[in-house]
Amino acid sequence: MVTRLDYKIPGGKLIRVEVEFEGGVVLRAKVAGDFFAHPESDFEAAEAELSRVPVDRLAEAALGAFSRPGLVLYGASASDIAETLRRAVDEAQVS
Amino acid sequence: MRLRFLDTGPGKGAFNMGLDEALLEAVAAGRSEPVLRLYTWDPAAITIGYFQSAAAEVDLEAAREAGVDVLRRVTGGGAVFHASEITYSFVVPEGHALAPADILESYSRICGGLVEGLSLLGVEASFAPINDIVSGGKKISGNAQTRKRGCLLQHGTVLLDVDPERMFSLLKVPSEKLKGKLIQDVKARVSGLKGLLGREVGYAEAASALGLGFARAFGRLEAGAGGPGRAAGTGAQFPEPVAALPAELLPSVPSPEELERARLLAAEKYSTSLWTMRR
Repeated sequence: MVTRLDYKIPGGKLIRVEVEFEGGVVLRAKVAGDFFAHPESDFEAAEAELSRVPVDRLAEAALGAFSRPGLVLYGASASDIAETLRRAVDEAQVS
Repeated sequence: MRLRFLDTGPGKGAFNMGLDEALLEAVAAGRSEPVLRLYTWDPAAITIGYFQSAAAEVDLEAAREAGVDVLRRVTGGGAVFHASEITYSFVVPEGHALAPADILESYSRICGGLVEGLSLLGVEASFAPINDIVSGGKKISGNAQTRKRGCLLQHGTVLLDVDPERMFSLLKVPSEKLKGKLIQDVKARVSGLKGLLGREVGYAEAASALGLGFARAFGRLEAGAGGPGRAAGTGAQFPEPVAALPAELLPSVPSPEELERARLLAAEKYSTSLWTMRR
């Protein structure tokens, strides 16, 4: 199934996530928004790492992946992204 | 400091983005000196930030019907409606005085050129991190930067005028009910030169001021004088700012190779849905 959630960081940017998962495993997680990430390719590598992660470990995996050394985020932090993904998964599992 | 200076005037969105990238490649390959480019958009266009979802941000059908091109930038940040504005791009190798390792510091230094240019037009403005320039509490300029191939590319806009009604007829809004509030918010928080000065400022006038503004601010940076370069009526309490020669802007045009590369990038990257819709 696919779950989507938008999260407006108070006083900051908007994070839009989309998570596709099946059988408790993430197939694809997309993190979009009006933030900045340098270098952009490291952000996309972090995003790609979230595929095949167990859904209940997605937020934790995202926090690790987007905190990687060398990746600089402006407007959204690794914990903002992880929290948005956690909420998206929670909403999907409740409904 | 010597900078290559291009004023390419109005262009189509895909070409504009293609030329920015072609210039980045040229500086990275050592084929061009650091370059400052001024331009604008014809027809009007919307660019979205590198990490944004085109379908989530833009009413693609409305944009198509209005003849407004939709393009993904190589730089992050938000969606921008490019209509009545002047745009600049700046490419310089990393490590240059204008491209220190600290990204916010480089935004601040490059935006110093815009602040100086705005002051020449009679607008008191200041850099507002992460990436804006504000005057009287209103945003007048947005900027975005990326670093690739050992070079920094920063581009950004100075609004000549704002039309939030037209903008929100093309951008997605959470609900029709909220549209009115969003339009009012933009009117309260964003202004063009027309709103600040109470008169029309055209592209040519803005381009002259910004060119000179960049030259002065960058020259001062090189001289290490820092500061806004204005004693601001404080009289004898402060000495005159250290005299600094403006940076030398060498008028130039895109080379045939750069134009060819820009057109190729426009056709094979920026105007393709593979690129625009990739998120």
